[in-house]
Amino acid sequence: MARWERFRRLFGPDPRSDVDEELSFHLEMRIRELVERGETPERARELALRRFGDFEGSRAECVAIDERRRRRMLRAEHVAELRQDIRYALRMLRRAPGFATVAVATLALGIGANSAIFSVVNGVLVKSLPFRDAERLYEVRMLYPDGTEYSGLSAPDFMSVREESRTFEQVEAYTGGVVTLLGVGEPKQVLGIRVSDGFFDLLGLRTALGRGFLPEENEPGRNRVVVLDYGFWQREFGGDAGVIGRTLSLGGEPYTVVGVLERGARPPEQGDVYAPLEYDETFSAATAQGRRSEYLGVLGRAGQGVDAARVRADLERLGSLLQERFPDTNGRLTFTAAPLRDVIVGDVRKPLFVLLGAVGFVLLVSCANVANLLLARASTRQAELAVRAGLGAGRGRLVRQLLVESAILGLLGGAVGLLLAYWGTRALVAAQPADIPRLNEVGIDGTVVLFTAGIALLTGLAFGVVPALQATGTRLMSALRRGGPGAGDGGGQRMRSGLVVAEMALAVVLLTGAGLLIRSFVELTRVDTGFQPERAAAFRVTFQGAAYESGDLVRNRVDELLERIGALPGVTSVGATTALPLTGLGTIWNFAVEGAPPPPPNVNAEIAVARVTPGYFRTIGAPLVRGRDFTAADRSDAAPVALINEAAARRWFPGEDPIGRRVTVGPDVREIVGVVGDVLQRSPGEAAVPQLFIPYAQRTTSSVRIVVRTAGDPLALAPAIRAEVRALDPDVPVTDFTPLEQLVSASLARPRFYTALLSLFAGAALALAATGIFGVMSYSVAQRRREIGIRIALGARAPDVLRMVVARAMALAAVGLALGISAALALGRVLRSQLFGVGLLDPLTLGAVVLVLGASAAAASYLPARRAAALDPARTLREG
Amino acid sequence: MTQPTQDILRGTLDLLILQALSRGEMHGYAVARWIEAATGDALAVGEGTLYPALHRLEERGWVKARWGASENNRRAKYYSLTRKGRAQLRVEAENWRRYAAAVFAALDAPAAK
Repeated sequence: MARWERFRRLFGPDPRSDVDEELSFHLEMRIRELVERGETPERARELALRRFGDFEGSRAECVAIDERRRRRMLRAEHVAELRQDIRYALRMLRRAPGFATVAVATLALGIGANSAIFSVVNGVLVKSLPFRDAERLYEVRMLYPDGTEYSGLSAPDFMSVREESRTFEQVEAYTGGVVTLLGVGEPKQVLGIRVSDGFFDLLGLRTALGRGFLPEENEPGRNRVVVLDYGFWQREFGGDAGVIGRTLSLGGEPYTVVGVLERGARPPEQGDVYAPLEYDETFSAATAQGRRSEYLGVLGRAGQGVDAARVRADLERLGSLLQERFPDTNGRLTFTAAPLRDVIVGDVRKPLFVLLGAVGFVLLVSCANVANLLLARASTRQAELAVRAGLGAGRGRLVRQLLVESAILGLLGGAVGLLLAYWGTRALVAAQPADIPRLNEVGIDGTVVLFTAGIALLTGLAFGVVPALQATGTRLMSALRRGGPGAGDGGGQRMRSGLVVAEMALAVVLLTGAGLLIRSFVELTRVDTGFQPERAAAFRVTFQGAAYESGDLVRNRVDELLERIGALPGVTSVGATTALPLTGLGTIWNFAVEGAPPPPPNVNAEIAVARVTPGYFRTIGAPLVRGRDFTAADRSDAAPVALINEAAARRWFPGEDPIGRRVTVGPDVREIVGVVGDVLQRSPGEAAVPQLFIPYAQRTTSSVRIVVRTAGDPLALAPAIRAEVRALDPDVPVTDFTPLEQLVSASLARPRFYTALLSLFAGAALALAATGIFGVMSYSVAQRRREIGIRIALGARAPDVLRMVVARAMALAAVGLALGISAALALGRVLRSQLFGVGLLDPLTLGAVVLVLGASAAAASYLPARRAAALDPARTLREG
Repeated sequence: MTQPTQDILRGTLDLLILQALSRGEMHGYAVARWIEAATGDALAVGEGTLYPALHRLEERGWVKARWGASENNRRAKYYSLTRKGRAQLRVEAENWRRYAAAVFAALDAPAAK
């Protein structure tokens, strides 16, 4: 310290005058010397200046150097002071370990929750997708007359977009499917993705081993080559480099392994194996053939500086062009595009931001709590601070000292919080909550650490500044004089009460949000899904290869399999379908009702189609409402028939009887023979959409889901079922064996996840707020010992005192409730899209919030109240 | 202002200042006088460049300064070498000797044929 002081004096207030003095001394000395040698004073001055040279230049340079040096020293001085403050603060905290632990724990909770949720937001929403030029990638979609979009294109439409788009630099396509892999251990189902020639290049995916595909490998007959996914290669081949050149049997065809993708190279739809798309005659921009067979995902990279609006306008132009060129197939259709990022993370953005907001509230509550602790502590530290002020520390210095203390608390809280966040995110990722995309990219990285450090510091300042100003206020000297803590502390008490009210208001907002989500969740679980999931399970079988070249062969096998499984003891019913409940719409086909006028321009002429076997509806427990179910007689040689669900009946046959009506479905004209009850296709939150069912026997597919209803636990029958399949054909794998109840719970996974997290945060906020009430009431009871003693001496009984203290806590809680509920209603909009079957003004939720908060406030104030009631008036009066 | 002597000086001025101060504490004018006497007045024009050089040496910590009373009892800034400055002087003087020896050797070498 003394060393710096010396420098400071050396510089004086202004380095400029020092330099002037030094330089003029030089000139004067030189002039004196010249005069002594006999020059006239004027001449001497002229000579001295000439010798000196550029006076102004030297002067300016000296001043600049000194200024620079002075600034550097001041900085060093600040650092030294800060270091001193930090040492002092650490000593103070060590001396109050209880306070420090509670404060750090409270902050760690708030900061940790923020870091954890931020790391999810960062990984899912902020980090760019792991693709080349990811921000310029789009998914091309069909745009239907009613404004709905469908993310699949036909091969000729893909070629049209590829060749005639003016805004895309590159357009590529892929299609995924399940294929049977033979020759590597047990026969198994793998996800195979077929890709167009530049697909890997578009996304910037490279191979770790071998090569990607050659342009000519999309030619028919030359596409029997395969590139393996890195994880699949590790799992199935133990990372053996000798896999290159090996031949695998995929779907009954031999494929040569030519490469392995890099670790972490994952296209938007990840497969186990990749093979080239076969460019048959429909891969042509000129053909009308195959235009309405949409099976390709199409991705395009927009040119530099081209925005989404221009991409969409260009695709619409192209769409109208095709409408003119191919009126029969592209009549009412056009294209649009969505940024790939939105496609991948789209609907999780809002809930994640809601969660981030919620943890922000938790952090505010922790801040208020720690501020309260600091305020209470400040009154006990007034003597210490007054001594320091008396010894000459200015108010600024004391405030800074206190702020350094709170910043240290904040940073300690941040460090522990980061640890909590690390465990929290690991647990979160391990729980694989619902279908949140990119979860594998979530983790604590530099951005998260920076964010945590930032909020830790900010937090420290936020909760520290008011207590610091308060503690160093004008009453310091009077406190020193009186020599006792606490006296004349009305302002502090008011501020503490204010903070507690704010805490409770914040907790109420979170409680209300969590309550609404819980209510919605309960409503969702009550929704009638249209089928009976108990004691039923589904699994997938795929028939591929030479033995299943024709549809008849597959159908016979499926018939045989259903018969064998149906004969198993414990199986009450069995059926097959291509689209299980709650797993999506499946295939969409063109649809028209014979004899009905063409639908208005804003209505899609299409319907979701599933293929089912005769026993399917009975097996899943969906009722037949009208007409008849399919029978074994509805085979390919019989008249084409169809069933529709009730939604389709309402939609296409309002007020009419659909039975016996003829409809065009895809390539066929079919007669509607029955109506089945609505079975939810997507999730309990989304109503059933029109759906049409055709007999599996009239249109077979190589892969079906078989549903089994059992007398007991369906999982117990799994081994027997697998044995039947193996007995039928050892090369047919059984995959995705799933109890139907799991379908229901999986469809609720996302709302369950958000509800659980928000409830967790609301609970944390409530616990913190209750701690706050407890602290404030304890403190106020301690402050009012004397007054309470007098009351007791004057005849107040214990229950009166108890009531008085609890009533004060309840008054604070009431203010917090009123503020919190108003805020919750104002903020409720952000939750609306996640609510189901419950309004924002839900009386049950609000009532529960009032009850929970009131009970917490009462419980938190009970202990201090009991202490007050047990006061011995004689002693407190003597002490006072 | 851009005479050749000065350009050469710019590189050696630091060395000259350090050498001057190695004899004891002195103010800027005394340093100037010493250089004048010791070098045959190399700083005849542009004596002022001495001061930025002194301040820079001070910034680097090679010299330290204090205000004191001059022989005619005026406030003057006195400079002296620090321990670091003394070490630097040794290094720079050695470098100069080596450099000068090399240049002399080159000048004395027989002309190439």
